[in-house]
Amino acid sequence: MKRIYFLLVMLASLNFISGQEIDSDLVLIKQRLDSIKSYEALIKLDVDISFINMPSKYGKVKYKQGESTKVTSQDFIMLPKRGLDLTLNELFQHPFITLDRGEDKHKDVICKVINLIPTSSKSDFSIATIFMDTKAKRIVKSEISTKMEGVFTTSLDYKNDVDVLPRAIEVQFAVNSIKIPLRFLGKETEVDRKAIKQEGSKSGKIFLTLSEVQIAR
Amino acid sequence: MHSTNRFKSLIRQGTSMISLIRSEIYKISKQSKTLYAIAAILIIEGFVIMSAYYQGAGIIDLLLDNLKDSFEFRGNLLNGNLIIYLILNSLWFHIPLILMIIISGFLTSEYKDKTIETVMLQPVNKFYFILSKYIVSIAFTLLIVLILAVSTFFISYWIFGYGDLVVYLDGLNFFKSDDAFYRLINAFLSGSITMIFFSVVSLTLAVVLKDATKTWIVAAIFLICSNLLLKIDFNNDIINELFFSKLTDSWQYFFYYEIPYSTIYFKNLLLLGYSVLVMIIGILIFKRRDIQ
Repeated sequence: MKRIYFLLVMLASLNFISGQEIDSDLVLIKQRLDSIKSYEALIKLDVDISFINMPSKYGKVKYKQGESTKVTSQDFIMLPKRGLDLTLNELFQHPFITLDRGEDKHKDVICKVINLIPTSSKSDFSIATIFMDTKAKRIVKSEISTKMEGVFTTSLDYKNDVDVLPRAIEVQFAVNSIKIPLRFLGKETEVDRKAIKQEGSKSGKIFLTLSEVQIAR
Repeated sequence: MHSTNRFKSLIRQGTSMISLIRSEIYKISKQSKTLYAIAAILIIEGFVIMSAYYQGAGIIDLLLDNLKDSFEFRGNLLNGNLIIYLILNSLWFHIPLILMIIISGFLTSEYKDKTIETVMLQPVNKFYFILSKYIVSIAFTLLIVLILAVSTFFISYWIFGYGDLVVYLDGLNFFKSDDAFYRLINAFLSGSITMIFFSVVSLTLAVVLKDATKTWIVAAIFLICSNLLLKIDFNNDIINELFFSKLTDSWQYFFYYEIPYSTIYFKNLLLLGYSVLVMIIGILIFKRRDIQ
């Protein structure tokens, strides 16, 4: 509860400093997410990138308030840099202002769309667009333009109208294709990094499916 | 009465063949070149393991460099399965070259030491003599591939442990550890057919050329050309599918994400056919030629 008050005070003070409104629906959603003390779930990861063939991977996801989300697996896994922050802690780490962008439809749901613009240079994103289902009080889509890692578009699907955490997450991003012969012996070991970088980028997706979700409030 | 004689003759021929094979095995086991072949294989393994130990992490890092912006990685890709795959790649050149040198020596050394003349003075059938050489050469090839496979699996898993395998073949292919093990085992089995082909070719070259140095040079050129021809597109489907050099990479097909079994079976069967053909040519040349 103290944390929620702290958040409200922080947002109010940010509002005072910047003279900009912090969207009230976003604050409500954040409060709802902050009621989660910890959660645990089984996670299934599927990669859809044209030049990567990978079987479904399985692991465990663990979150504890005040700590970052942890994913463990016995296999080799590739985790998207964005998309696992289900409690929005990363977005709220540094101050920002919000801009109301009106309404838009996402998967037959009328959503309120807002832009998040960071006011601190420490923030690792330059702008984020959030689609909020205000009725269900949850985020259904986000587009985060990071400063270093490109744009991540995350789409969240929920099992029912009341769940606070999604059951399926789709993360879309841009990736550079690669062409490297994996041989240690012979001349093929030489790799032209410049040529690889010049190949351009392709769109990739990763699908995360959560099951057996256990939430502690 | 006639059939009984024929049966006795067959028994005699069989016994003679077994004796010749035993004699060839004895010769090989006593020759130092057999130990050199095994030592060469272990040295190649050592080099690959050493380079993987020192450079492996860097290579993996480079391989996944473009994905680092979007992904975080959990788990170890520099594991036993990757090392086995890297050693398996010595089937492209290093292992067939060693086999061709050693196996051609099985016959050229007999010409050089003139022991072949001594053997031919005995009541030994030339056909059985050269056939036994081919049989023992094939067995020797299989033994070398077996030693390579067993030592590779043992050392790699022992030092680097288990884990997912990543291979760059028409994209980045990731295989789970047990799937990787299955693919690697089958690749060694398939690769042994390719090795048999090169061994049979080298023995046939020894039949034709007799001289050790000439045979080594021609065998090396044959192997290099075969590797080069494999990469050339002849713009003709029949040549691209049936030419011998296009059949020597069947073992690599186990690392496509979806294994093309029919292509692998086709390539291996046809390569076995080529091996038999080359063997028949070698036997015919040897039979018609006088031993001087």
